[in-house]
Amino acid sequence: MNYVEWLRVRNLLRVVAIILTILVVLAVVLRVSVSRYMSPEAWVAHLALDPGTKVTRTTLPDGTKRIVFDDPDDSTHVVVDDHGYAGKHIVVTEPTSRAQKEHSDVSVGSVRVFESRNGATTTTVIDTNGAVPMIYYMALADIVALIVATILAAPLAREVDGHLEIALTKPCSRVRYALGVILADAAGIIAASVITVIAFYFCQLLFESARLDFSGINANAIAMGLILPLAWYALLCAATTLLSRSYGAVLGFAWPVAILTGALTLIHADNVVALFVHDVAWVISRFDPLSYVEFASPNATGTYNYTEANFGLRLSIEVLFFVVYGAIAIWRWQRVEA
Amino acid sequence: MSIKISNLRKSYGKIVAVDDFSLEIPGASVFGLLGPNGAGKTTTFKCMLDLARSTSGEILYDGKRLEPATFERVAYVPERSVLYDWMTVEEHVEMSRRAYAKFDPARAFELLAAFNIDRKRRARALSKGMRTAVMVAIAFARNAEILILDEPTSGLDPVNQRHVLSLMINEAAKGNSVIFSSHQIGQVERAAEHIAVMDRGRLVLQGTVDELKADRKIVEGIFPDVSFTLDGIARDLRVARTDRTERIVRVLVTGGAEEIASDLTGAGAMAVRVLDLNLEDIFLYAVSPATATTDIVAKESSS
Amino acid sequence: MPAVLTVDPRSGVPIYLQIVEQIKRSIALGVLQGGEQLPTVKQLAVDLTVNPNTVARAYRDLEREAVIETAPGRGSFVRADSVADSPRVAAEIGRDALDVALREAKSVGLTRTAVRELFETVLERWFADDKRVE
Repeated sequence: MNYVEWLRVRNLLRVVAIILTILVVLAVVLRVSVSRYMSPEAWVAHLALDPGTKVTRTTLPDGTKRIVFDDPDDSTHVVVDDHGYAGKHIVVTEPTSRAQKEHSDVSVGSVRVFESRNGATTTTVIDTNGAVPMIYYMALADIVALIVATILAAPLAREVDGHLEIALTKPCSRVRYALGVILADAAGIIAASVITVIAFYFCQLLFESARLDFSGINANAIAMGLILPLAWYALLCAATTLLSRSYGAVLGFAWPVAILTGALTLIHADNVVALFVHDVAWVISRFDPLSYVEFASPNATGTYNYTEANFGLRLSIEVLFFVVYGAIAIWRWQRVEA
Repeated sequence: MSIKISNLRKSYGKIVAVDDFSLEIPGASVFGLLGPNGAGKTTTFKCMLDLARSTSGEILYDGKRLEPATFERVAYVPERSVLYDWMTVEEHVEMSRRAYAKFDPARAFELLAAFNIDRKRRARALSKGMRTAVMVAIAFARNAEILILDEPTSGLDPVNQRHVLSLMINEAAKGNSVIFSSHQIGQVERAAEHIAVMDRGRLVLQGTVDELKADRKIVEGIFPDVSFTLDGIARDLRVARTDRTERIVRVLVTGGAEEIASDLTGAGAMAVRVLDLNLEDIFLYAVSPATATTDIVAKESSS
Repeated sequence: MPAVLTVDPRSGVPIYLQIVEQIKRSIALGVLQGGEQLPTVKQLAVDLTVNPNTVARAYRDLEREAVIETAPGRGSFVRADSVADSPRVAAEIGRDALDVALREAKSVGLTRTAVRELFETVLERWFADDKRVE
């Protein structure tokens, strides 16, 4: 019954797959060309080592290659454990005066940096094989999924644009037809997220092993990442069925308007005009699924925590957006005339 | 499957497109709906298919209102192309195959070949006539009990127009109904058994083609001079209109032509004859006021 | 068969009547033989591109006038005795033609004598070489 929409989705996913394949190929090329820079020496190059440093290389019983840099003049000791494909583990012991001025723990992708001070000595541990937080994958997947959602959006407005005589003379109810369309597009959006994650996971595998963790905060990230583009899609569907004559313009202006209202909510309300603009923008942004996404916020220890107390609330709001905006689109479809 | 339209009224704001229109379309027949441009034919079709909400009135299919399942038995060809530009002809056939249980894809491809359509072409690469042909081929492969066709031959070359007519006649011979609108009155004359004429949203004429042609005649009388009176004749209920030019009188009658002819002779006409009308004549007389066709020429020569 | 029948939908004469007349004419001329099978209603309708009920009505009229007979399941056939009736049918056709011609002549105001003179002239034109004796 909704073959036309499934065809649209399939055609678009083909394009997305081609683009992702090109990216993967580029990653392979990159991997091949930088392979000679992936040696341990490069990792510790930033440490200004004096010529008097003693370098010891050993191989541990489990095959790990260990390189020890010892500089007694500066009281600096670096141990680099190279587990090969499984990542590297680096321990830097240096006087506190020499350590990086910012005291912070960093997590970027699968790289973790922990610092601990012990009086005059600072120990920094760098670990490159942490579990990859799903949030990074979902962020990438969402960029693709949001684009796919915007392209697929307005399916009902497109039918109104000269195809109602076909769409409305099928042996199924109008509601059933509209639901089928939304289902097909939702499946396409989720599929786009999935193939993006797979593509980037593969890219990561080219460089080193990646552990994926699907529990706890990662599960939350996945849930939010999957529902966000669907809520955005549903918003565009509703907007374009309300303004079906100019659905192209609605789709084109959706991004800029969302970004603009989001930006305007950041204005400091220090005078009447600014307050007014801020408040109007704030009200408008309440209807925008993108404003309820907060993937991460820093907590006291400097790491990122994206399971804030009201995460559940925000997730529910996104689901609500999908349902309500979807219902508006279906309601308008129910009433449309050829 | 029969259709009964009762007091259909459809207005778009202040404009009344269809006004108190009632019609009964019997099953297993070919029904022609005629009318000038803007008469309301397309709007009537849309109301019949729930593509437009009627302002008032009722349309019943075999006594029941239209519901989604009815569309398994009703096929529609709209007057303009509604194909998806980006899909191929084959994909359109596949779409119909998945949507309708009784659709016959082999028959559709047969018909497409007869119309000389390349099944792998995208709809945007087809000319207007070819798009009509695709919609027609798919509709006739539907095995539907009723086919509603809005100007199904527009844009087609004469050979393909004949194909479409033959298809319509074939459906009628199979016991299905075909309701079509066309500006080609000659085609309607051949294929249709019943016709209805609409003008400005209203029904102005209906009947079977045979009856209309048998009953409606022009009785022409030539009088020796201009001093004659036609009052008696003009009041006859069977006289639809009277055109008088000096000594010549032409009376359009809806029956009883021979009697009116003798009435004219009785009124003093020296030469009276009864002229047959073809469907185009009947149609033109039904939709145009007495002087309509001469008006256009008069305006041209006086300006 | 289709080559023998042509219908003009634009003429004022109903199509079914045209079909009836032409079949009768074919029989009178010997183009259709006694016992010969006619096309089915559906086949003739498609061949002539006319409504099947129009053809059905023509066949019904022909059957009522005992020109053809229909055997259920087998088809419609020219009656053997209607061929023998050819002279009568021919006479009917001739009279219908003269009817129309004389009505026209009268409507333009010709007198009986004038028409008779004209008739002889036209007769001579068409039948000059016809030496048949009844």
